[in-house]
Amino acid sequence: MEFFDGNVAMGLPFNGGYQPAETADELLREMDNRGIQKALVWHCAQTNNFPGDGNRLLAEGIAGRERLWGCWTILPPVTGEVITPDFFAAMKRDRIAVLRAFPERHRFLLNRMVFGRFLDSAAERKIPLLLSLEKQSVSWRDVYQFLQEFPTVTCVLCDVGIWSAERYTWPLLESCPNVYLETSLVSLQQGGLEAGVRKFGARRFLFGTGFPERYPEAAMLQLLHADIPDADKKAVASGNLEHLLSQVRL
Amino acid sequence: MTLKEEFFARGKLADCPIHDLHGHMGPFFGGLLHDTDPADMVAAMARAGVHLVVFCHHDALFNSSIGNRVNIEAVRRFPDRLRAWCGLNPNFPDVLEQDVASFDTHADVYAGFKMLSDYHLISITDARYASAWTHADQRNLPVLLHTWGGSPYDGPEPIRTVAERYPHAQILLGHSCHGEWDKAIQLAKDFPAISLDLCAVMDERGILERFVDELGAERIFFGTDIPWFNHHYYIGAVLGSGISDDDCRKIFYQNARRILHLSL
Repeated sequence: MEFFDGNVAMGLPFNGGYQPAETADELLREMDNRGIQKALVWHCAQTNNFPGDGNRLLAEGIAGRERLWGCWTILPPVTGEVITPDFFAAMKRDRIAVLRAFPERHRFLLNRMVFGRFLDSAAERKIPLLLSLEKQSVSWRDVYQFLQEFPTVTCVLCDVGIWSAERYTWPLLESCPNVYLETSLVSLQQGGLEAGVRKFGARRFLFGTGFPERYPEAAMLQLLHADIPDADKKAVASGNLEHLLSQVRL
Repeated sequence: MTLKEEFFARGKLADCPIHDLHGHMGPFFGGLLHDTDPADMVAAMARAGVHLVVFCHHDALFNSSIGNRVNIEAVRRFPDRLRAWCGLNPNFPDVLEQDVASFDTHADVYAGFKMLSDYHLISITDARYASAWTHADQRNLPVLLHTWGGSPYDGPEPIRTVAERYPHAQILLGHSCHGEWDKAIQLAKDFPAISLDLCAVMDERGILERFVDELGAERIFFGTDIPWFNHHYYIGAVLGSGISDDDCRKIFYQNARRILHLSL
């Protein structure tokens, strides 16, 4: 089965971390050792300090590596720190397909007043926004508020927490057709992936590992032997993310 | 083939029967859980080649009106696949004393005691637990503690106190003093009857590797909080840590069979 990891970081976490992959080549070696073919990557420097530096390091790191796609981290457009007039063109140039935001860490509000025109444009271009429920990113209340204000944004919720999150995630999957869940912690929950696939369909789930914080083999083994049809496993493992990225217009 | 290759290919291995010493059962106030009844749990175990789960039903810990009766009923339904921790809630001392007094009459059901002091807000050193500790100490019984870093109820300091007070009780540090990993390691070094548990540990790379480097694998137990955490996820995490296959086997089943006095 082909695995396309939708939640993996390169670079050195500021707090050290455990055996991170500093460079893209190191990351590719880690992926090869584990049997992961492709990855959607962000860079620890995007949250270590200034996201602009992290975005640049990521673009430089994945350049020429056809198995890697990039995520850039955004800040409020009005400050001009990250989002510049040529932002989408730069994304295209640097093989960046997805956005991330860490409002708590970077001290801003992820709402319509701050991001209105920019995220409306991202939604039209089908550029996914990944929101982590870890890493000083957003609270569930923030996520709900955000999706009420931006219902057309393609939103992937990742790192959904180690304790059962379905009372948070299922109402969103039911009400917001553009919401997807990354599986690195969905797979942690007993029966969580199976129940979610049965209720909402496999297309709403995207494989991810959470590397380097988590063991890739954990989510891989769970998905390989999950109690769902093989076609659903393949969709979750790679097909769904491939499809989302194929929709992006830059 | 390596153990990892075999598990990835087949999902379960007859010659590597997983023993999970940290399970629960039943629904829970804090989240939607799946496979919560005994039959569903046993079916889920079969998918990953889990031979035995030692569990404590949530009702035995959070609903003293029901108490350990549900533990006993579940084990009697699936005696080859389930054993129970006798759950103790010191907020109801009379019930606790009854549970301790009747422990030996359920020798086929119970593996030992379970204390959840962080939730019950009573320290494991409290006198209301004394009869259980004494019972365990006299019989070398396992006691599964919920432990968490920094907790005044079941963190490293109270653990040290009970380990000194009851040296023959086999103390399993559920969650291994989560977050205070070095203190958990030190406790295991200082007290030969203390062992570490992997439940809520395996979602973070590097901790198991540190445990094995510092202690060896002989006193590390596989636990998942099932029906909270998925067996394949945890098996994959242990296999992904890169520790040796021999150490994986110790963690997956050999250590558990030793402490439960099951023949290998």
